[in-house]
Amino acid sequence: MLDVQDLRVSFSTEEGTVQVLKGLSYSLPKGKVLAVVGESGSGKTVHALSLLRLLPPTANIEGGRVLFEGQDLVALSEKQLCKLRGARISMIFQDPMSSLNPVLTVGEQLQETILAHRKISKLRAKALAVRLLKKVGISDAARRYGQYPFQFSGGMCQRVMIAMALALKPQVLIADEPTTALDVTIQAQILRLIKDLQQQTGMSAVFITHNLALVADVADEVLVLYGGLCMEKASVQAIFKNPLHPYTQGLLNSLVSINKKEDFLPAIAGHPPIPGKECPGCPFAPRCSRALKKCFQDRPPLFGKKGHQAACWLLEEKA
Amino acid sequence: MNLIEIKNVYKTYTRKRFLSFGKKDETPVLKDVSLCLKENRVLGLVGESGCGKTTLSKIILGLEKASSGQVIVDGKDISKLSKAGFKHMRRLMQVIFQDPYSSLDPRMNVSQIISEPLDIHGLYKEKASRRKVLEDLLKSVGLSAEHLTRYPHEFSGGQRQRIAIARALALDPKILIADEPVSALDVSVQAQILNLLKEIKQKRRLSMVFVSHDFAVARFLCDEIAVMYKGLILEYAPAEDLFSNPQHPYTEALFSAVPVPDPARQKKREAVSLSSRSDMENHPCPFAARCAYACAFCQTPPFLKEVRPGHFCACAALPFKNKKSSFAV
Repeated sequence: MLDVQDLRVSFSTEEGTVQVLKGLSYSLPKGKVLAVVGESGSGKTVHALSLLRLLPPTANIEGGRVLFEGQDLVALSEKQLCKLRGARISMIFQDPMSSLNPVLTVGEQLQETILAHRKISKLRAKALAVRLLKKVGISDAARRYGQYPFQFSGGMCQRVMIAMALALKPQVLIADEPTTALDVTIQAQILRLIKDLQQQTGMSAVFITHNLALVADVADEVLVLYGGLCMEKASVQAIFKNPLHPYTQGLLNSLVSINKKEDFLPAIAGHPPIPGKECPGCPFAPRCSRALKKCFQDRPPLFGKKGHQAACWLLEEKA
Repeated sequence: MNLIEIKNVYKTYTRKRFLSFGKKDETPVLKDVSLCLKENRVLGLVGESGCGKTTLSKIILGLEKASSGQVIVDGKDISKLSKAGFKHMRRLMQVIFQDPYSSLDPRMNVSQIISEPLDIHGLYKEKASRRKVLEDLLKSVGLSAEHLTRYPHEFSGGQRQRIAIARALALDPKILIADEPVSALDVSVQAQILNLLKEIKQKRRLSMVFVSHDFAVARFLCDEIAVMYKGLILEYAPAEDLFSNPQHPYTEALFSAVPVPDPARQKKREAVSLSSRSDMENHPCPFAARCAYACAFCQTPPFLKEVRPGHFCACAALPFKNKKSSFAV
């Protein structure tokens, strides 16, 4: 559905250009959910924004292609891209409270999205908007349509965002940490909702998160991102059963379990690299307990079979 | 001995409306909360946002005043303390906040940040001893002396939280109030900070009040856990008993919402529905509108009842609920 090839993004700062994405490649199959997992600073949000070219002006897509239905999104004109945004590819952002306009009613904002892409009467757009609100589980949708975002709770706002994203039945949904600002109970509901709607409509989705535990529920495929590079790509079962990369293993080990009491958490030592100041070899090498000399000098390519690949020199011999 | 005793604390926020002629909007946020914190134990306050857990921690700290009820810290009622007494209390009890990005002054370097409590209390005034204390503090939270001259913006989220912990430990307190100290952090860094909190609790024989919305995190650190909902404590138990034997329907629902990092098991798990019914808003039990077991039994306001030794639960439908589930099996 979506084919990302060698995507490179850099930011120009006072200290020169900083590469944030260093050649990311993946393909998103039709009707599947790809989870992109990474810590803050790993480039996961930059990656999401660059898919729709929503990056701030200081950022620059240096190279690579994003193919969607045979078109390269990187090369499209702004006008052509506007037709795709929201209609064919839509996005849900992390903080629902700040991504809705506080001075417009929720209904007006939904209606606006619909009318921007479809030539229908305002009345029909309103009817559609109310139906959408019902679909994402907002009770008393007709009354809620006329209310403002501040009258909604965080979870409800995120439901509205989802309704807006799905209003025009997109082929691809990009969800950037959609549940990070929410409580666990609300998080479970929102994840369920996204998953249900994704299965009903058969759309593909890119789900971005820093929490590997969430991935188990929603994703089919997982891509682990670190320091702007893909560390591991695999099916969700393989990632949890047989993680190949030391970073993925570390991430899984550092999850706190609700099912047993632990005395000590095997955390990954150190902290994520500052963009622009990474190790020239594997970005994870300074934190890796099994790093070889080579890891600090040469950047590892992806090793492994097509379905399960990891960028780690430790896998070189096996390959 | 109980370091902190919270006795029947109520808190109501009132708001005067424009042109309301003396009428006030009253929002109760804590209703009859009683808890205690024992020496070298960690008390967890767990619940969703808006349940009153942060308000309660602020009342313990003396940053908010309770509408009624008492908070007794180390034998003294904190609402009756003099200014000097309150200052002394600060040496006993310190706090770590949720967001390390806003809780550190961006214009102070690490040395100034950690020195501030020492300056206020006039401790370690001599230069050499001050430096030694600062270095020891940094070392105890996993940072080093070279960090002293740096500013907060040079640190990652996890490191900032370490600085905040060092500042809280500067006065060598007996009690630490931690208000969601890891929820703003990445998962891998969260594990480091949790390990650190556990380590300093053991090394310094600290007692802690740990506020969190994440049960997995609470299980790792807490000895006793109080589950809060709309200002009420619905369940209170030793941590291990709570996890092996949750009683209240709300606790069960919260457990089921925590994601499990295992695709095969996660797909089989059924999250307990917490959909709310609007027809039960004025029900005596605040949780009734979202409860799957709400029935004729819960027409009286719930109160905490000991259901097993040391395990308290406020649910009027509890006997009925357990029967129902055993029938289902």
